[in-house]
Amino acid sequence: MAERKAISLKRQLDLTPVVWIFSAFLLVILIIAPMFFLIRESLLIPQEAEGGWGLANFIQAYTDPLYRGPIFWSLIISVSVSVISVIIGALMAWAVARTDLPLPGLVRVGALASFITPPFLGATAWILLAGPREGWLNILYRIITGAGEDSYLFNIFSMGGVVFAIVLYVYPLVFIVVNAGLNNIASDMEDAANIAGAGTVSTMLTVTLPLVMPALLAGLILAFLETIILFGTPAFLAIPARQHVMTTQIRAFMQSEDYLVGLASAYALPMLFAAILLLWIRRRALGRRGYATIGGKGGQRRLQKLGGYRWLLFGICMLPLLASIVLPYFALIVASLMKTQGGGLTWSNLTISNYLFVLRNDQVWPSIWNTLILAVTAATCGALLASVIAYISQRRLVRGHRYLSFLATAPLAIPGIVLAVGLFAAYTHKPVVLYGTLWILFLAYLTKYLPVAFQTSNAALMSIHPELEESSRILGANRLVVFKDITIPLFKVALVASWVLIFLPSLRELSSSVLLWTSKTRVITVVILNFYEEGRLDYVSVLGVMLMVLTLIVVAISYRLVGRDFMNA
Amino acid sequence: MKKIFATFLFSPLLALLPWSWVAAQSTMELAKKEGKVVWYSSASLPLSQKICGLFNSKGLGIECELHRDGSGKLYSRYVQEAKAGIYTADVFHTSNIGHFVNLTKQGELTKYRPQGTERFDKNFLDKEGYWSVVRASVYIPIYNTTKVKESEVPKSWLDFSDSKWSGKLVHAHPNYSGFVSVGLSALVQKFGWEIFDKLAGTKPRIVQSAIDTTTFVVRGEAYMSLGGTGYEPFVQMQKGEPIKYVYPKEGVPFIISPVAILAKAPHSNAAKVFSDFLYSKDAQQLMANTGVYVANPNIDYPKEMVPLKDVKLMIVSPEDAVKMRKAVSDNFRQKFGV
Repeated sequence: MAERKAISLKRQLDLTPVVWIFSAFLLVILIIAPMFFLIRESLLIPQEAEGGWGLANFIQAYTDPLYRGPIFWSLIISVSVSVISVIIGALMAWAVARTDLPLPGLVRVGALASFITPPFLGATAWILLAGPREGWLNILYRIITGAGEDSYLFNIFSMGGVVFAIVLYVYPLVFIVVNAGLNNIASDMEDAANIAGAGTVSTMLTVTLPLVMPALLAGLILAFLETIILFGTPAFLAIPARQHVMTTQIRAFMQSEDYLVGLASAYALPMLFAAILLLWIRRRALGRRGYATIGGKGGQRRLQKLGGYRWLLFGICMLPLLASIVLPYFALIVASLMKTQGGGLTWSNLTISNYLFVLRNDQVWPSIWNTLILAVTAATCGALLASVIAYISQRRLVRGHRYLSFLATAPLAIPGIVLAVGLFAAYTHKPVVLYGTLWILFLAYLTKYLPVAFQTSNAALMSIHPELEESSRILGANRLVVFKDITIPLFKVALVASWVLIFLPSLRELSSSVLLWTSKTRVITVVILNFYEEGRLDYVSVLGVMLMVLTLIVVAISYRLVGRDFMNA
Repeated sequence: MKKIFATFLFSPLLALLPWSWVAAQSTMELAKKEGKVVWYSSASLPLSQKICGLFNSKGLGIECELHRDGSGKLYSRYVQEAKAGIYTADVFHTSNIGHFVNLTKQGELTKYRPQGTERFDKNFLDKEGYWSVVRASVYIPIYNTTKVKESEVPKSWLDFSDSKWSGKLVHAHPNYSGFVSVGLSALVQKFGWEIFDKLAGTKPRIVQSAIDTTTFVVRGEAYMSLGGTGYEPFVQMQKGEPIKYVYPKEGVPFIISPVAILAKAPHSNAAKVFSDFLYSKDAQQLMANTGVYVANPNIDYPKEMVPLKDVKLMIVSPEDAVKMRKAVSDNFRQKFGV
């Protein structure tokens, strides 16, 4: 009797509607409010002009030639980066997945290492390496060739330099996507081509390439989006070369003495629409499966024999790793240990005083603390929220579950800096003033990284058959209990993976933080940017090294917990 | 000490002394209760941190919380925060005198005369008593002595436009740096807006902070700088870095950096204690040691520092600094590209 009573009590306490309302409420706070206020702000005409509503901000943003330049350059840079990234990423993915390349594991780990390196650290390192006059590679070039003091091989402060420094950290996206694509395609067709007499190259071009076309397109679009929303690299490299791109222009509007939030909003909106359009195209191209196809590893994958060329290919695959990992980390570590920036690479110029300065600096520890608080809370709340929403929408628990899953993936289309403008517009007004607190940064991080966590949870839930849940439902447990006792233990791995996939990028988040920080809510990337803007590349290097050590620790722990698959999610 | 006593002894204000003493005491009490002061400062990070550190070392039970950024960034941040009804800053300190004219006009400042400033040159004090100048420096170019021969060093601001310097100069940004905003105003007053075309024609590297220009020249990444502070090169020269000042014959813009207490300061008493401290002999000496000119006349400057009276100065009035700020910013954007 007592047992039956307990069961009926559980039934009465079904909290599904509460969960639904709570999740919906959160998504409104996270996405709808910032976007609403963004649009509102863009339509508000400044009081200094005539006040009221209208399109004045849009007209100014898109007719002034000064503001059209950054749009042009953003497009040029993004197209160049995505095309080059696809070539490099696809070649490496093919080499790893389809040929007898030596040490494929090294290439894979290297690509992942580039993937977790913050692009702005790469840019800093490349300033040290390829500054036209004092970059170490240029000095080396002058020593070797005996060229004059004015000549140089590389100039990182140029549009070509910007493209180069971005490609290094964007190509891994393409690599991961295409690699996954190739792993899901059996080699039967390639074998057929080989039997019919086609060589390695023509098989690759006429058979493999068309088969992975959807993955290539997906990689192209991801690379384009990743580049156009990037703030750090252009801020470090394009501004010194006297050119804004869209993201740095938005920051310039936001931090102008003339209060140009309306102009910033009008300027940001098309980025939002472009992102939505591209994601829609990607969806159409891939069907409804998304790029990370789960399971379905049918058939065999045979490796092409390359003979002597395998070492050539290996050399080519090592180049991106050299440029994105080996040289930059060497440069950062050395720069962090140099006494004077003009003193050159000598033993007597080595010191740990930069570390001591940074560790004793009273802005550094609070910012590390803030970063950790934000990363842990965003990762924890994000992983939980994502799993709840994924669960509801996978199991179709409530009507309207589609809207929930749509809203959980929608932030993919919101560039970080656009989100920050929206959050700023939404939460600097009464009744809800979050500006000046960690909450606004928390909302930014949570929103930005929710989609990745949602996709991870969704994919994991797909592989858990509902039968297990249904049987416990039949035994009387309500949905929450089922979720807690059955579903969560089954997809613990996905939960940890989601957590890491929010935590890691939160450590290096810059494009939202740069607009939302205040003196009490500095994060580590903002301190790095502040040091950079004062020209302290030595302190930037110290913090960069510390950030990477922290990242590697987290990655190592995650490997132990869930294996390397979490990076491919 | 004797002199001060004598002044007080014969002062007709003697009768007021106990009152101001009592007031000072209660300000200190209240400041301790507030516990901290939030300082928006555009002085270089090392200098700002040293000043905060010195204040904290006094053990007053009031903590100095620093928010260091470029002058322009600090001002826009304050304006944005005020629009949102958020008031975190207590003491405001930038190198753009125009900010203080604007803030006074908008009623955002509190009248306060920090202790000791009554003995200073009148030019260092706002007539109405809202702000006072705590430090000053010059907007001065520098060159790297290993890259530029003494004979090649420009004699005039116009010499920088020589095509042989193309791609070898570094310039800081007026939207970030108050130094650059006011300094460029002075150059425009002297040479007209064409100076922008001339300087931009050399395709300088653009950095944000007027301090960063020094590090570019120290590293050798630029041969010469335009638009830098006078005090950061001084610090680097003391360290033995291979740089020297350029003294153009037309003179160098004189940049004053005022300090004021904000009307809505959440720690208004601590703000007073901190403002008094900024003018104390300790703090002023600390600034002077890093190559800054200070308001307090009784300070010993490092012997390597050129006395201000030996430098030919270009001076921008506060009103002109306000009037020209937007035009400087817009023209800079137009000619220099960012």
